[in-house]
Amino acid sequence: MGIIETLWQILTSPPVFIPLIFPGFVTLLIVLLLLIWFERKLTAKVQMRYGPLYIFKAFGGIIQMVADLLKYLFSEFIVPKDADKKVFILAPILFFTFTLLPLVAIPISSTFTATQSDLTLILVPAIGTLAPLMVILIGWSSNNKYSFIGSLREGYIMMTYEIPMFISVLAMALTYNSLNLIEIANKQTGLWGIVLNPLAAITFFGTLLMTTARFPFDISEAESEIVVGPYTEYSGIVFVLCLGAPYVKLYVLSLFYSIVFLGGWNPLFWPLNTNPILPGLALLVKGAIIMALAVFMRTIYPRYRLDQALRLGWHKLFVLSILSVILSLVLFGLGVL
Amino acid sequence: MRLVAEVDGDIIIAFEPNIGYVHRAVEKIAETKTYLQIIPLVERPMLPDTASANLGYILALEKLLDVEIPQRAQYLRMLLCEMSRIHSHLYGLGIFGNMIGSSTMFEWAFADREPFLELTQQWTGARLTASFMVPGGVRRDLPPDFTGKVLKAVAYMEQRLKDYDKIFVNNPVTIARLNGVGVIKKSEAARLGIVGPNLRASGVAYDTRKVEPYCAYGDVDFELVVREEGDCYARLLVRREEMKQSIKLIRQILDKLPSGPFFAEKYAKLINPKMKALMDQSGILRFPAVFSSLKPAKGDAISRVEAGRGELFYYIVSDGTAQPYRFRMVTPSFKNVIAFKSALLGARLADVPSVYGSLDYFPPEADR
Repeated sequence: MGIIETLWQILTSPPVFIPLIFPGFVTLLIVLLLLIWFERKLTAKVQMRYGPLYIFKAFGGIIQMVADLLKYLFSEFIVPKDADKKVFILAPILFFTFTLLPLVAIPISSTFTATQSDLTLILVPAIGTLAPLMVILIGWSSNNKYSFIGSLREGYIMMTYEIPMFISVLAMALTYNSLNLIEIANKQTGLWGIVLNPLAAITFFGTLLMTTARFPFDISEAESEIVVGPYTEYSGIVFVLCLGAPYVKLYVLSLFYSIVFLGGWNPLFWPLNTNPILPGLALLVKGAIIMALAVFMRTIYPRYRLDQALRLGWHKLFVLSILSVILSLVLFGLGVL
Repeated sequence: MRLVAEVDGDIIIAFEPNIGYVHRAVEKIAETKTYLQIIPLVERPMLPDTASANLGYILALEKLLDVEIPQRAQYLRMLLCEMSRIHSHLYGLGIFGNMIGSSTMFEWAFADREPFLELTQQWTGARLTASFMVPGGVRRDLPPDFTGKVLKAVAYMEQRLKDYDKIFVNNPVTIARLNGVGVIKKSEAARLGIVGPNLRASGVAYDTRKVEPYCAYGDVDFELVVREEGDCYARLLVRREEMKQSIKLIRQILDKLPSGPFFAEKYAKLINPKMKALMDQSGILRFPAVFSSLKPAKGDAISRVEAGRGELFYYIVSDGTAQPYRFRMVTPSFKNVIAFKSALLGARLADVPSVYGSLDYFPPEADR
């Protein structure tokens, strides 16, 4: 066996392929570039503007994000004098890492997975909960009132969305009688999760908007109120990490959403769903629809106030999530599942 | 503009707007200028509502000069003022939308000012600072087929207002953000001396156009938009309704537009006959030589007009020379800034932009 073959084998083995190529770094980078471009272009279209245009004009400025990234890469990273320096530098890096990490638990076909675990359904949101803590650290270490207010808001919102999110995931666990994402996807050959338990699907989408700071829950980084919230003091490439992390989270949760609620790689059937390419593509397309929907909210809604978002979270989403559990139990009792 | 909020948790317990950062000493500069040079000067602080600023000053000056204005000029002045009011309200609405996070409202409102700016440009030569009204009349008669263009723009605006309702005014998030926020009670509004749409949103039916009609506002029919709630949402609705009233006014003005000269006979006869013939033919004013050093009679005069953001007040003291002895300009934003202090008490920190946007406050206008 030659060295190239060995390398190829290592590269295509799930524990390397998933974090590095798909849905990991390489795909992530492309998706982020396209997603942010799409968001800006779509918003511009609604708002009677052009949006990104001049960089690679033939494709409507599609690589505008590359240019922006380069610009940030070469701008100076300033650490404020009064900041807690170690935390100030480490927190955004950890923030980005923790938002990205759940990707390793996402399977891309019924056989191709990096995490052999029966608990992947709760592993993905569980790792995700670490990220908002880093936002609070960011705000605290920056020693700036806007950062501080922003991170406090993030803290409050985190309390609000985590619980309905986990309860709606629990409802789906009851629906499928499993905590394994591969099993869950395989069980959706007939009806998809969104049909089986629409309440959980709605709740999860609401919490997804909250956790990724999409409108109308763009509260922690409200531009007209507190500059950019927790990230006010950041500059250069670390600022990009801070701004990119919500999009990464959106990507991760969209993939998660499409497995749990949108049937994963179904309606592809055996043997098509064992090869990682086609199922992965199906997953990505479904995820892209969710992502597009989430970024489209920007053009429709203004921003909720913090207390209103909290009220919405506790009074509506929380109740909805409880109802979704009851719905699952009823379905289970009736023997539908 | 610096806003200092004292907060208890998230609740504002004291609020202090610090104004004066864009003070440009308009009143003092005016005392060194001739009367005609003051026209562009008073427009500068009042962007984007320049027509009303211009009109107010000219009305006060004309009282000193004792000049009779032809009816057509009165109507043309009103037409420009109403167009200016619409785009002033659009400007305010756009900023308001952006402040509470609706970038779509911002872009739409700013883009839809364009027809009116374009029309102003075609008519007067400038998009904003038209300096269109001069003592005795206006600078230019309506260009040919201008009426049709204005009607088209107005019809477009009517359609767009419906779109605004869909995306912004009736948006549940907007209503949640604005309803019951930043309430200024009727008595409080009257006590503080708030003016314009903000006053009318608090339930006081007061509009200089109705109370003390100038130009030909007595002859046209429009409704006073009044709401009782006095909160941010009421102020938003009052502005939207006022735009509709302005549209109605523009249609009436174009309908009733009398024929005749657009410049007062008192000054028209001073223009050299060749120029006068050219002026009558092209509809563009040729300035009489006397304008270079107008010397009004000794005395003082005041004027009040309803600008887009509220009542605008001028006071001119003339000592018989070519420059005013004292010039006073009280702008609506200056009168409205006091509302921040009471409207925001008990509100949340995130309500500061909502109240700021709803008051349609414009720092250069307040500081002059």
